[in-house]
Amino acid sequence: MALLLRTFTRQGTCLFRPQFGILCRHAVPMGTTANEEMNTFWAKNNKLNRPMSPHLTIYKWSMPMMMSITHRGTGVGLSGGISAFALLALVLPGNYPYYLDLIHSLSVGPALLSLAKFGIAFPVSYHTLNGIRHLFWDSGKGFKIPEVYRSGYVVIVLSILTSIAAIGYM
Amino acid sequence: MAAIVRISSVCHRGVKPLFYRSSLLSRTLVAQQKDQDCPYPLTATIHGSSSLYAASVSKAASLHWTGERVVSVLLLAMGPAAYYFPGPAVDYSLAAALTLHGHWGIGQVLTDYVHGEPKIKMVNAGLFLLSTVTFAGLCYFNYNDVGICKAVALLWSK
Repeated sequence: MALLLRTFTRQGTCLFRPQFGILCRHAVPMGTTANEEMNTFWAKNNKLNRPMSPHLTIYKWSMPMMMSITHRGTGVGLSGGISAFALLALVLPGNYPYYLDLIHSLSVGPALLSLAKFGIAFPVSYHTLNGIRHLFWDSGKGFKIPEVYRSGYVVIVLSILTSIAAIGYM
Repeated sequence: MAAIVRISSVCHRGVKPLFYRSSLLSRTLVAQQKDQDCPYPLTATIHGSSSLYAASVSKAASLHWTGERVVSVLLLAMGPAAYYFPGPAVDYSLAAALTLHGHWGIGQVLTDYVHGEPKIKMVNAGLFLLSTVTFAGLCYFNYNDVGICKAVALLWSK
């Protein structure tokens, strides 16, 4: 091994310059997980009291970015809604048809009713369809940029159409 | 053969004495000779982490990822199942799949935005509590009330 080191320094080769014709690759010496590395990053930067660089405020918003955060937003919203429903089921005294009749007796107009139905149907529909898009990505397909945009538009259009169809149903 | 060298000793152009480098980084550096002007044959292999790092890395994260996708696909299948075969079997399956999918999903959101060991532990405990209550509530609803499938049907009938 000493021969190897002396060889390189004698020749004056820099192994990190690809144009010298020698390719070097790093092997990962330490077995840290991604989670561990992330925690180290945050611990170090918080300890040094470093401010965070602007990111969302300066980077130009793109369609895939907006679709991604909408997927997260609808997911969190739906999850919250389900949890709220489950909690109410445990806490409220009456049964479901009773409360449904209570809501019906409020006699909201058809426009508001359709809006409410759209408000429930769209998050479900969008999250489901974009979820399928995610599963395609998980299988390794559809990562080319034009494909990302195309599948994105398909998800948006189908979400709106199925939500409108759901309003009309029944 | 893994050659452990001081990165600085090979990083600078020109001949430099080995022992005057102050920074010492012991990382495995693997070089593959591509040019013919180097007369010394270099055979080197890339070593993965397993040979240098004695402990093996847990597969928990990978299995978790796969589990998330499996539950997602199952939940997807429950849509048509609920529509065409409403009943207690689908009701309870839906309760389980919805709760688990939501639990893991919110878990990812928390991992992204919450940092610092004590905070992470706290919010994950809170999430576990919320998911437990959610599952309990949904099962209670399935048992003592109309059930999820019927509830959706009734809601939409107005």
